[in-house]
Amino acid sequence: MNSIIIGQYIPGNGFFYKLDPRTKIIAIFFLMISVFMLQTIVQLLIAIGIAVVILLIGRISLFKVVRGLKPIFILLVFTFIFQIALNTEGTVLSTATMHFNLYSIISAVLIFVLWRILLRFGKFKILLFLAFAFALYFNFRYITFQPDFYFFQLTIYEKGVEMSVFVVLRLLIIITLTTVLTLTTKPTDLTQGLERLMHPLKKIGFNSEDFALIISISLRYIPTIFDEAQKIMAAQASRGADFSEGKLKDKLKQIISLLVPMFIIAFMRSEELADAMESRNFVPGEKRTRINILRFSIIDIYTGLFTLACFAGTILVKVML
Amino acid sequence: MGIRFRNVSHEYSSYTKKTYKAIQDINLSIEGTNEFIALVGHTGSGKSTLAKHMNALMFPTDGSVEIFGSEVTKKRNKKIKYNDLRRQVGLVFQFPEYQLFEETVEKDIMFGPLNFKVDSEKAKTLAREALSLVGLDDSYLNRNPFNLSGGEKKRVSIAGILAIDPKVLVLDEPTSGLDPYGRQVLMNLFSDIHKKTNKSIIIITHDMDLVYRYFKRVIVLKDGELTFDGTPDKLFQSDIIEQNHLDLPNTVKALKQLNEKLNLNLDVYQKTPEAAAKEVRRVMKHE
Repeated sequence: MNSIIIGQYIPGNGFFYKLDPRTKIIAIFFLMISVFMLQTIVQLLIAIGIAVVILLIGRISLFKVVRGLKPIFILLVFTFIFQIALNTEGTVLSTATMHFNLYSIISAVLIFVLWRILLRFGKFKILLFLAFAFALYFNFRYITFQPDFYFFQLTIYEKGVEMSVFVVLRLLIIITLTTVLTLTTKPTDLTQGLERLMHPLKKIGFNSEDFALIISISLRYIPTIFDEAQKIMAAQASRGADFSEGKLKDKLKQIISLLVPMFIIAFMRSEELADAMESRNFVPGEKRTRINILRFSIIDIYTGLFTLACFAGTILVKVML
Repeated sequence: MGIRFRNVSHEYSSYTKKTYKAIQDINLSIEGTNEFIALVGHTGSGKSTLAKHMNALMFPTDGSVEIFGSEVTKKRNKKIKYNDLRRQVGLVFQFPEYQLFEETVEKDIMFGPLNFKVDSEKAKTLAREALSLVGLDDSYLNRNPFNLSGGEKKRVSIAGILAIDPKVLVLDEPTSGLDPYGRQVLMNLFSDIHKKTNKSIIIITHDMDLVYRYFKRVIVLKDGELTFDGTPDKLFQSDIIEQNHLDLPNTVKALKQLNEKLNLNLDVYQKTPEAAAKEVRRVMKHE
């Protein structure tokens, strides 16, 4: 649970913590549009530079953000591979035949096993993965003993490499931006900000207050339900339900033994919560006052100006070039 | 054989990097039979954490727990079948809602034995026996566990563990949330089970009346450390009580008050109200 950084608030008091959540949401919205308007790798590299400077200003450790990127890493790798393999524009950079024969498959399996073994010791998991990918590439390319079961031409185009780097960079920036948002904003503040921003939608029948309430209650109950699941698992483990071992058929039964109490407890909790809210005079749809009223301050204006500058800059770049 | 704690500590860590020791440096020995132990201590003193170490639901972060010959340490040992340890030591949790899930009481009690590969005919008889052991008759077998009262649910959840036939039974606050009569009945039940089967029973409780009246041995935890291990008589006659924020049993409190207010010379250490009344009568006759 603790390893999931994406979407997790970490207490602190840097620049971004003092910003109004509304400012942060709007700023990130516009910055994302800007990122999508950029068209060359050089522009994106400049954008990454700016993103790093933003992180440094906010005194958010780069390490934390990088750690937050871990779950996305697989996605990045896939985007990269697909872009390289499937894009057929521009000049040909290299072309090679990939051979799938008995020997290359055996050695590929060996490489895979070696990679899994090294993973156990290793700290450099990402580096290891890259090494693994390259080893596979060279393996299928150069082990050419006949007969091949199957072979195909892997042609890498200039545009393919460019686009793959481009897409990965773009994803990186976007994820970094959203991580900054969730890392520095309490979920309750975030929903309050969203609620205020979506307030005008009431005219078309969208009740932003209900929406915000639903989100904040769900967020509030994620750790509680997680906690409860662990307690139920402990109780059932005491009755011999081993969630880590056992056959598929046994497992199914054990999962039911976890799910049924979880549903029952969730319903119990929701009823209790409804009672508690009603006994404190909560009426759905009624106007409520707030403990913390959101207020814009001078730093929000600076941030707004900065965002505006970035946005105008990208439009200018797009029009001029 | 039994459960031995050797310098056991358990540390919880959180992402703010502050660690919190739930229990520390526990040395404890519990026999496999004939024990009737109360585990007491104020809220947050580590009682539940200690209980979870007894059937390997939790692993110590330091030290080792020996459970019927198997050594449980920080590292998972592939040779040990942790599931089998849970057959030796049954742990009943505080809230029955966390374990009841089947449509009928019978099926729910059978869940444990079936997990331990008992065939279903045998499991059925075990369920029936366990149910009568907790004082519910056979008419309950086909009822829905969710339509039972709180006390009945509790009994069914206890029966669910008893059906596994563990050598040692650990119960986490089995009497909480029950009325005084229900508490009395349940305690008599445990005491009966103990006498009938000679199983070791360990019960976490806050009720000092029960501790004084029923138990052979008391273990006191304070802030994760073991501060007392001995008989209830020794515990309540010493000054450990106040140091550990524990209460005296009501009989002792009442007799002490009488001694102070009326200047009597009563022997305050009486386990039951009846014994206390007898003591008062004895002294009054002398006066």
